[in-house]
Amino acid sequence: MAVNESLRVLKTIHYDEGHYSLFLSAGAIGARTKPGHFAMIQAGEGLRPYLRRAFSIADVTTMAGVPALEFVIKIVGVGTAALARFAEGTPLPVLGPLGVPFPIDDLLHSDRVALVAGGIGLAPLVLLARTLAARGIAADLFYGGRNENDVLKRGDFERFLGPHRCRYATDDGSLGRKGRVTELLTHALARGGRYRRVYACGPVAMFRALATLLADANLEGSFAMESEMACGFGVCLGCVVPMTDGRFATICKEGPCVPPTAIDWARL
Amino acid sequence: MTVDLSTAFGRLRLKNPIATASGTFGYGLEFADYLDLASLGAISVKGLSRRPCHGNPPPRICETDAGMLNAIGLQNVGIDAFLAEKLPELARLGATVIANVWGDTEEDYVAVVERIGHERRVAAVEVNVSCPNVVRGGMVFGNNPEALAALVKRIRSATRHPLVVKLSPNVTDIVASARAAVDAGADALSLINTLVGLAIDLERREPKIGFTTGGLSGPAIRPIALRMVWEVRTALPKIPIFGMGGIETVEHVVEFLVAGANAVQIGTANFRDPSLAGRLVGELAAWCESHDVARVSDLVGTLRTRPRKDHSFA
Repeated sequence: MAVNESLRVLKTIHYDEGHYSLFLSAGAIGARTKPGHFAMIQAGEGLRPYLRRAFSIADVTTMAGVPALEFVIKIVGVGTAALARFAEGTPLPVLGPLGVPFPIDDLLHSDRVALVAGGIGLAPLVLLARTLAARGIAADLFYGGRNENDVLKRGDFERFLGPHRCRYATDDGSLGRKGRVTELLTHALARGGRYRRVYACGPVAMFRALATLLADANLEGSFAMESEMACGFGVCLGCVVPMTDGRFATICKEGPCVPPTAIDWARL
Repeated sequence: MTVDLSTAFGRLRLKNPIATASGTFGYGLEFADYLDLASLGAISVKGLSRRPCHGNPPPRICETDAGMLNAIGLQNVGIDAFLAEKLPELARLGATVIANVWGDTEEDYVAVVERIGHERRVAAVEVNVSCPNVVRGGMVFGNNPEALAALVKRIRSATRHPLVVKLSPNVTDIVASARAAVDAGADALSLINTLVGLAIDLERREPKIGFTTGGLSGPAIRPIALRMVWEVRTALPKIPIFGMGGIETVEHVVEFLVAGANAVQIGTANFRDPSLAGRLVGELAAWCESHDVARVSDLVGTLRTRPRKDHSFA
């Protein structure tokens, strides 16, 4: 069950002009959060931004000893810009945890999984990596961005999964392999990598390519989808994607984590 | 001082004048974790059609200054699934349910109200003749007083439920719409639905909404909604009115009551804060108490206006 509560800003860490981590007090949301859940955050009481914004809960952690939720945010508009500027201690209305999390309960210790992130799509994979590590399930990370600055929280991923399990790709070659993140996965599969499931989050173009790749390799996937949404809990019906069964499904309620085979990529 | 929040609304007696607006409150059940549905005056559920409806392809929404545009296209589970799966649970939770209905044709509207029949767990029927986001039906009725009157007349003869007609603000003369609906048998009016708007993605030179235009809601439309409530109240002193449009605070609620609404519906603000409508009930009682208002109905239509004079040149 989600909670509608007020959480305090504990800290904001700016990575560069365009990316930051927002740490909020964990409230009652923290203990309920599973990897893949998201929250709706209201950036203050003003009318611009007007609606709450949806963010993956990147991590449930501590900040200076205080239980905290971490959100990793890319500035793309008024909401994400406004959230970067709150002083420590500012209370913000937060609704969460929301949505369908990544399916992980069925994983066995003998399973190996892959995590695929594109750009800011790393966000839901941080807590997933932490959780898998705690459960002793091996995971390989494939993480791509336009350049080195786009590839965030490498230290956390390498700590949770082991540095040798983290591979990077950038468009300009400034970090890891020059090219696309899906090529990293293709190479891993060609070298005999076998994955019980592939967890992914990134831009639509990455999802499309990955959906094809997984279908060709007969691999199961779980994609954490993103969409503009007004409410986050299934009533505005604004965040829908076309499904293979002909329906429009809400990302907030039937997702955000959905199997790629359920989505009608041709109509998206 | 105990404040009397009860609200006479035609044949309905509402616990209080705080209701929620169709299209912003799902089927009510989605809010059960965030407020007590029984504490609200009423809830108007997502517009119900004769058959389930998939709605419009995305993108369906975008934020605008102090509001949002939407073109959902009336996606809903259909009247049968609502009656079978949603209504029993709503009744169990003590909600006062208004069934909002729509169709492409007069026959579609009639079919939905006939399915509701004498269902006692539905307190009233609200007719959506004002959705701007469908090609047929919806606003096509709401923007033409003759078509509106013909539709309301047919629905009136098909149901004994209290009949609320939700008017379109996308007209030159809201009073003409109101009179047409009331003369055709409407027991009450809801105003306003969303205003047709356009938002543009400049880099792509495309509309931000897949349907091109969308319905504007939120605080941006509140002055227009207040004006229309006041105009209709002035022209039709007796008709029960649900006022809505950009209500966010208890002061906004009272503004609508003073302008002439008997009750209000909270809309887009439910997205921003799903607990808001429940909180407003308590805040309204507190507001009345602090302003020495014993009965909330004493506020209705109490706007004091000055006589308008012709401009005078110096």
